[in-house]
Amino acid sequence: MKKTLVYVSLLSALMAGCSSTPLNDAAEPGVAGSPNTLEESLGLDKLRSDSLLTQRSVYFDFDKYEVKPEYQDIVNAHAQYVADHPNAKVTLKGHADYRGAHEYNLALGQKRSVSVKGAMNVSGANDDQIETVSYGEEEANQNCQGNECSQDRRVDISYEVE
Amino acid sequence: MKLIKFFILNLCLLAITQTQAIEVIDILGGKANELSVAVTPFVGDETNNIHNVIKSDLTRSGFFRAINIDAVKSFPKNIEDVDFTFWSALKTELLIIGKVEDNGDQIKVTYDLVDVFKEKLMTTLEFIGKKNQDRQIAHQISNLVYEKITGTPGVFHTKVAFVKKIDNKKFTLNVSDMDGYNSKAVVTSTQPIISTRWSPDGEKIAYVSFEKKKPVIFVQNLKTGERKLVANFKGNNSAPAWSPDSKKLAIVLTYNANSQIYLMDADGSNIKRLIRSRSIDTEPTWSPDGKSIFFVSDRGGGPQIYKMNLDDDEAKRVTFEGRYNVSPRLSPDGKLLTFITMEQGSFRVAVQNLISNQVMKLTVGRNDESPIFSPNGHMILYTKKLQGEKAEIATVSLNGLKSVKIDVGKELTQEPTWSPFDF
Repeated sequence: MKKTLVYVSLLSALMAGCSSTPLNDAAEPGVAGSPNTLEESLGLDKLRSDSLLTQRSVYFDFDKYEVKPEYQDIVNAHAQYVADHPNAKVTLKGHADYRGAHEYNLALGQKRSVSVKGAMNVSGANDDQIETVSYGEEEANQNCQGNECSQDRRVDISYEVE
Repeated sequence: MKLIKFFILNLCLLAITQTQAIEVIDILGGKANELSVAVTPFVGDETNNIHNVIKSDLTRSGFFRAINIDAVKSFPKNIEDVDFTFWSALKTELLIIGKVEDNGDQIKVTYDLVDVFKEKLMTTLEFIGKKNQDRQIAHQISNLVYEKITGTPGVFHTKVAFVKKIDNKKFTLNVSDMDGYNSKAVVTSTQPIISTRWSPDGEKIAYVSFEKKKPVIFVQNLKTGERKLVANFKGNNSAPAWSPDSKKLAIVLTYNANSQIYLMDADGSNIKRLIRSRSIDTEPTWSPDGKSIFFVSDRGGGPQIYKMNLDDDEAKRVTFEGRYNVSPRLSPDGKLLTFITMEQGSFRVAVQNLISNQVMKLTVGRNDESPIFSPNGHMILYTKKLQGEKAEIATVSLNGLKSVKIDVGKELTQEPTWSPFDF
């Protein structure tokens, strides 16, 4: 994880160098990107303020993995962001509620994250920038009741550098 | 010691197997078929451990009903002392009596199994052991009684392993006697542990840990204490399943797509794709002959159990009742399949006869998980999730008559596995 982070930072420094803005020319060689460069190349400001990009969870029905229409705008916005920032790396972490088998829930959480990835691919996001993983029911509320459990049926969207 | 014991046992068995062996398949879902047994305190047993252990072992099996003998004041030491009129009046079919002799460091335990109706000694045996081995000796007596009556070896000497979740921040993989005693942690982690699988050779436990911020597969050697990371591929690594010879593991990997089943050597080498689909394929488990894999797939919509022969790559659906069937495990003879089925929102332990395809639900739910057969195929160990962030492990007899908790403390306990006969 740490290694990847340094790699991304170096990459962004290099790419920022290519863009030849006066600010980047002043950057010292070997320095892993000044905070400003990283901020700009990853458009972190937008990531933190945009009304859709600040929404980081997509919710699902029981034993379902299809992205529901009401989450399409959020997924599109993230797909667009990933497509616009080739050095951004996003992790889609799938979850399931506590009911049913641990292993099937792990697979279901994964299928949900793959489903969100698929929707992002359609909207132009590159596969190489997206990592899918699942925690199944392992972080779920083991005592949820009724609608409360829907909070655990989700995919969380997180970026490596924010 | 062991040799002598088995010699005597086999002699007795020859005489009774024909008439008294109970076929488990016949009683699957059958009505009450319990034999009543009076397990008397062993004369000279200061701790009273021995008869209590035998009583709880036999009761757990679902084949025996221990009659209440609280009002009885004196107990026979051997068959010559037995007042058959008295015990017949208590409506007990079997009587277990015995005595303990203290020889300093060692104890000598003698027991008699008596057929009350026939007024006949069925078997008698003597054990010598250390004083602190009284529970083990009691389990051995339970095994012999069980085998004498059912024709199938008992499993009361075996062990179970399970995961404890302590205050939501510590997870331990524990090993204990099958009745919950002598529980010891063999792995401790701050991250969840799931999918424990005891190797058929008894030496190792494979499990899934989230300690790499994602699921990866470890194998814990129980003899050396060595812990080996055997699968840490991109994405999720989960659902390890030992081949019957303990040489291979079927596992589930995702890379950047849906869960798919792979096969590798138990040390993590020689990985290859086993089944290719666009759906979820997970929870592989081997048939006892090693020729096929049962697994869960949602290729037909919801999760159902399928079977694939390793030589023809063709998956056939096995479960048809209900729209959610997961966590398949086979009985040691390969004739029965246990799994979790969802019915009206309740998750229950079910057993399907793979010849007749008859399905029996053994538990009432609501949130049961992870069933696994005992090494003799007569019981199923599973997780029972309870209200309020609690879970315990329990056994249920195949006739569904007895579900008994395995008491390992008040912490959330789940994801159990059962040792083989020998370990």
